[in-house]
Amino acid sequence: MSEEKNVVSRRTVLKGAAIGGAGLAAGGVLSAGTASSARAAGADIHWTTRGGGASGDAIAKSVNDAFTAKTGTKVIAQQVNSDDFQNNFVQIMQGSPDDAFGWMAGWRTNARADAGLLADVSAQIKALGSSLPASAVQAATNPKDKKQYIIPTTYYPWGLHYRKSMVKKIGMNPEKIQHWDDLIKMMTLTKKNGLVAYAMGDKQGWEAMGTFDILNARVNGYQYHIDLLNGRAKWTDAKTKETFKYFAQLIPFMNPNFMDIDWDGCRDLLLQKMCGAMMMGSWFANDFKAKSQADYNDLWVVPFPEINKAHGIDTIDAPLDGISVAKNGKNVEGGKALAQFWGSKEGINAAIAGGDTSIYVSKDFDTSGYDAFGKQKLAVLGSAKNIMFFADRDSRGDFAGPILGPALQNFMKNPKNVNKILENTQAQWEALPKQ
Amino acid sequence: MKTAVTVPKNRNRRSLSKTDRFTLSAFVGIPSLLQIILLWVPAVVTVILSFTYWNGINIKDIHWAGIQNYKNIFFNNPIFYQALKNNGIWLAFFLFIATPLGVLLAYQIDRGIKGHAFFESIYYLPVVLSLAVIGIIWNFMFQPGGFVQGIMGRDLAHALSIWGNPSINTWVILGVASWRHIGYIMLLYLSGLKSVDPALKEAAAIDGATEWQIFRKIILPTMQPVNIIILVITLIESLRAFDLVYIIYGSPTVFPLLNLLVFQNFAGQGISMKGAAYAVILLLLCIIPIITYLRVVFKEDLK
Repeated sequence: MSEEKNVVSRRTVLKGAAIGGAGLAAGGVLSAGTASSARAAGADIHWTTRGGGASGDAIAKSVNDAFTAKTGTKVIAQQVNSDDFQNNFVQIMQGSPDDAFGWMAGWRTNARADAGLLADVSAQIKALGSSLPASAVQAATNPKDKKQYIIPTTYYPWGLHYRKSMVKKIGMNPEKIQHWDDLIKMMTLTKKNGLVAYAMGDKQGWEAMGTFDILNARVNGYQYHIDLLNGRAKWTDAKTKETFKYFAQLIPFMNPNFMDIDWDGCRDLLLQKMCGAMMMGSWFANDFKAKSQADYNDLWVVPFPEINKAHGIDTIDAPLDGISVAKNGKNVEGGKALAQFWGSKEGINAAIAGGDTSIYVSKDFDTSGYDAFGKQKLAVLGSAKNIMFFADRDSRGDFAGPILGPALQNFMKNPKNVNKILENTQAQWEALPKQ
Repeated sequence: MKTAVTVPKNRNRRSLSKTDRFTLSAFVGIPSLLQIILLWVPAVVTVILSFTYWNGINIKDIHWAGIQNYKNIFFNNPIFYQALKNNGIWLAFFLFIATPLGVLLAYQIDRGIKGHAFFESIYYLPVVLSLAVIGIIWNFMFQPGGFVQGIMGRDLAHALSIWGNPSINTWVILGVASWRHIGYIMLLYLSGLKSVDPALKEAAAIDGATEWQIFRKIILPTMQPVNIIILVITLIESLRAFDLVYIIYGSPTVFPLLNLLVFQNFAGQGISMKGAAYAVILLLLCIIPIITYLRVVFKEDLK
């Protein structure tokens, strides 16, 4: 309960004024919101579920059925493979896309909105009013035209995961891994026991970005990190090199086969008590539960430890997901109404009834039933005031995957070549076409 | 001179009936048209796009880049040279080891060594699998937590780095790719060998030629058309390598190949016309040696 309050209080303190403003606006726009859903009645709405297998379908069905019950409009849903949808997004949106779908905030939304593929949902966000925290609305806003093209719904924290029992075993307090020195001590002791101290798997090339993001934010702060990913700071700066010095300190503690395993390999290392710590998104806790309740109770997550006092632990990678509406859909207004429903209290409750375990950004989201790990996830989210979306959403698509990914892989393979790798990364950034 | 050429041509044309002419032009015309529309138009468009900046969405966003994409690839992209090297090693390995092995196996089986039917089927077996399936199979074998690691008694934390280890992964991948390629070449060559007149071999043997001399002086020259096919297939298989590696790694960056770079930069969210430039480089690498080779061979034939 206190953690939940913590989340709200952080946002209230930070964006208090903005929330007030949104709240005032909500009254006026409320009627517009109902009007658009009334217009939508009659024509079917098409919905894309982005991955998730049977449970993804169950959640979508629960929410869409609730929408149909409320408005009388039929929703036709299909599920697509998440990676395929993401990779072919531009082609799909230019063809005959479904009206609404789950999507990801950040570059992936903003760049596609700039290209005219996504519909403006600012009015729906206004209609949702103060139930959406201002920080989430801010995060979902396209910096170019200050409009929103995604209705923020869920997010998850990237944090340092470990097993409480293993940390106790090496004589440390699992609640007190707070500073870089604590982490180094923890890793040294774990390694002494013959275990992997810091699990890393970067076979696909994106996983290590999580470690890089947080190190850069801890060493140089949120603003510098975002500037760096958007070309306003340089990869060859002394500040960037400082981040890589910390990164290099982690490498000896990693499993030597980090180029051979994916993120789920890291999870298995932790699941099988073979590693001490793992920097990862908190999306895999259900796998621990599936193994046994004891394993789940043993799992813990904390914010990545503090490195630079000036920045403390004020930043976190917490990719924000939401609902977007295709501009080329057959029923754009219907899509908008459905998207708004997904972000509303009724929508969230329907999703939870359908088995959704995600953390919603909405203030209508009830967390009182959360267990210890769930509450700790909220606390980790609440500890930060700046939210990053992960490098491949904070930066351009033609930089993150094709350039930054291999650069980090090369760095971990040959940390001594860091200067050359960074010079090269900068040169490749400069060769990108202007946006 | 001019008339000498045109006269027989006219005579040829006159000897064709109307139906013949129609059938001929349909048989030549339709495939040519499809070839042009489906292959050459996109190829030319790709070449043009490789000189532009574009994110693949709105035509109006496209603008001229000159040779910037190429400059970027040649001067800023270390991964390009890694890919070139990997493709080069792949080609050399196939050309000098895998393909000759396939030919050797075909020759031995054709000679009817003991148990040749058994060998033929086990070597041929991998050919029925697509490279994607082969990638899945061998990934299960070698990845941490996989079968081979299990036999060696290595758990996840202590698993040998195979796919991610740059000093061995090239050879493991080439081994796996050859597993299929050898069988493929063997099959092609075997079908050619079956059509070689055994009387030629017998005559040579009676004249006292050794096994090696028969192979070099009789078999190889008689098999010239098949040799060309095999050489071209080897070349193309090596340069277009993609599926096996993509399935194993799921990303193009640990073991880069030219085709993987085309894919990464031309599809998905990383789309930029650097991908088109990679595609053009790959196209040139594929067709220049093939055209040169075919021209030389056909010239020799004409003589």
